[in-house]
Amino acid sequence: MNDPHRNAGAAAFADRRDPAWGDAELLRRIGKGDEDAMAAFYREHGRVVFAQVLLVTGERVLAEEIVQDTMLAVWHGAASFRGESSVRSWVIAIARRQTRDRLRGRRLRVVDDAFLADQPGPDPGPEVMALDRAELAEVKGAIQGLASAHREVLGLAFGTGLSLPEVAGVLQIPVGTVKSRLSAARTALNRILNEKGQNL
Amino acid sequence: MNANSTHLDLEDLIAEVTGQAIGGRAREHLAGCEQCQLEANRWNLVADGVRDLAAEAAQVPQPARPPHIRRHVLAGPWRRATVIVGSVAAALVLLLVAGTAAGLVHVHLSGPGSGSGSETTLTSVSGCPRLEQAHGTLERVNGADVVIKTASGQLVTVTTTATTRLAASGALLGDITDGTAVTVAGTRSDGTLAADFVVVSANPPSLTVPGIVTVTGTVADAGTTGFTVVTSAGTRVPVTTSGATAVTVSHASLSQLQDGGRTMAIGYPGPDGTLSALAVLQPPNWPAGAHVKVSVRNCSSTAINHEIMALAYGG
Repeated sequence: MNDPHRNAGAAAFADRRDPAWGDAELLRRIGKGDEDAMAAFYREHGRVVFAQVLLVTGERVLAEEIVQDTMLAVWHGAASFRGESSVRSWVIAIARRQTRDRLRGRRLRVVDDAFLADQPGPDPGPEVMALDRAELAEVKGAIQGLASAHREVLGLAFGTGLSLPEVAGVLQIPVGTVKSRLSAARTALNRILNEKGQNL
Repeated sequence: MNANSTHLDLEDLIAEVTGQAIGGRAREHLAGCEQCQLEANRWNLVADGVRDLAAEAAQVPQPARPPHIRRHVLAGPWRRATVIVGSVAAALVLLLVAGTAAGLVHVHLSGPGSGSGSETTLTSVSGCPRLEQAHGTLERVNGADVVIKTASGQLVTVTTTATTRLAASGALLGDITDGTAVTVAGTRSDGTLAADFVVVSANPPSLTVPGIVTVTGTVADAGTTGFTVVTSAGTRVPVTTSGATAVTVSHASLSQLQDGGRTMAIGYPGPDGTLSALAVLQPPNWPAGAHVKVSVRNCSSTAINHEIMALAYGG
């Protein structure tokens, strides 16, 4: 049987959902070795998974390899999906584990949640104002300058279509911690923008 | 809502930014809370950055690209920096004052041709490629959903939220009541202004209209044939209206959208084929010779809001 993950390195395309194939049905078919279903799964989730992995790793080739590994894991593990979460959060959790394994040797930066909980005050301070002044290009650059844990939570919250409880499930942390991490990510983003002296 | 504050909590804000459902109370609060709208705008900018990076990530070789991936085939006439409508009868130049507008709309594809690859309902927006738009005519409003019928007959279902920017144009004279803030453009005769256009807005555009008189103020004495505009200086200007008077409500409700009217939605494509849009607009049909100048610098929230404002008044 051909490895259906062969093309997963470029799993970066957008497409409309095939209404005839729900996610659960796709996984059922994948579990039976249906390569067409696997291709459809790529179309449905590949781009999002790739973007998320790339956001965390910052390395395109590595991200492509991780997506390949993730899709291979889906191919082999589809039958084990128990429907306790959405398919999207399930596959992203797989990708996260693959990423963690790949980066283990590089000592993936672990950010303490106590630090991450450094939330901005209720009133917009100078750092928030920096975000008010910022242009998109600067924000993108600042996101790429964040710690991986911050990039990860922002990507999960805004790039995957997952709800906050689903993000919490992927990260295996409470929803409140997800919110703290998001707030801390934005604070860090503003700091970067301020440090760069954006005056737009 | 946040138990410790009167404002939305982060979960609601994130849900709003990502187009997920928020509670009615939160929705109502957001619609009237400038601070929460600013917070939503800030998170929107962060989300835009993430989405933009994701879009860039998607630009890799695609050996397995599916054959029915959508193509951008429509011209997108509403996203030009300069829109010229018709020939010269009354040169109407709108210098638009930017305001803030934020909101989310989810566009789901349905109807004939969806996914066929021969046509698309969404087109990218020049100057900000990650933005997309759908346009056509208003087929119907169903609850919070707006269905747009494109020129090719495809149907786009647009789900609005409380902060979705809605602008409506058409037979809306009945919505001009005492106390309404308006800007009127028309011709003056014997001290009375015959209205060609009325813009209902608390923050009206700055109008420079060669050959046409404009007046801004508050409506009084509203009736079936006209009303009086009371300017900030207290001057009272009688205004007459007719069936030809075009009315634009810059902050409209769903019920004010006009069936069959030219309609567009703009926003961001989501990962699952949805479009998280910023606005649903029915721009007015400006007269022959009207020029609507819209300046779009980039993908920033400010620039996009400029665009939305401009489109609301006549894109």
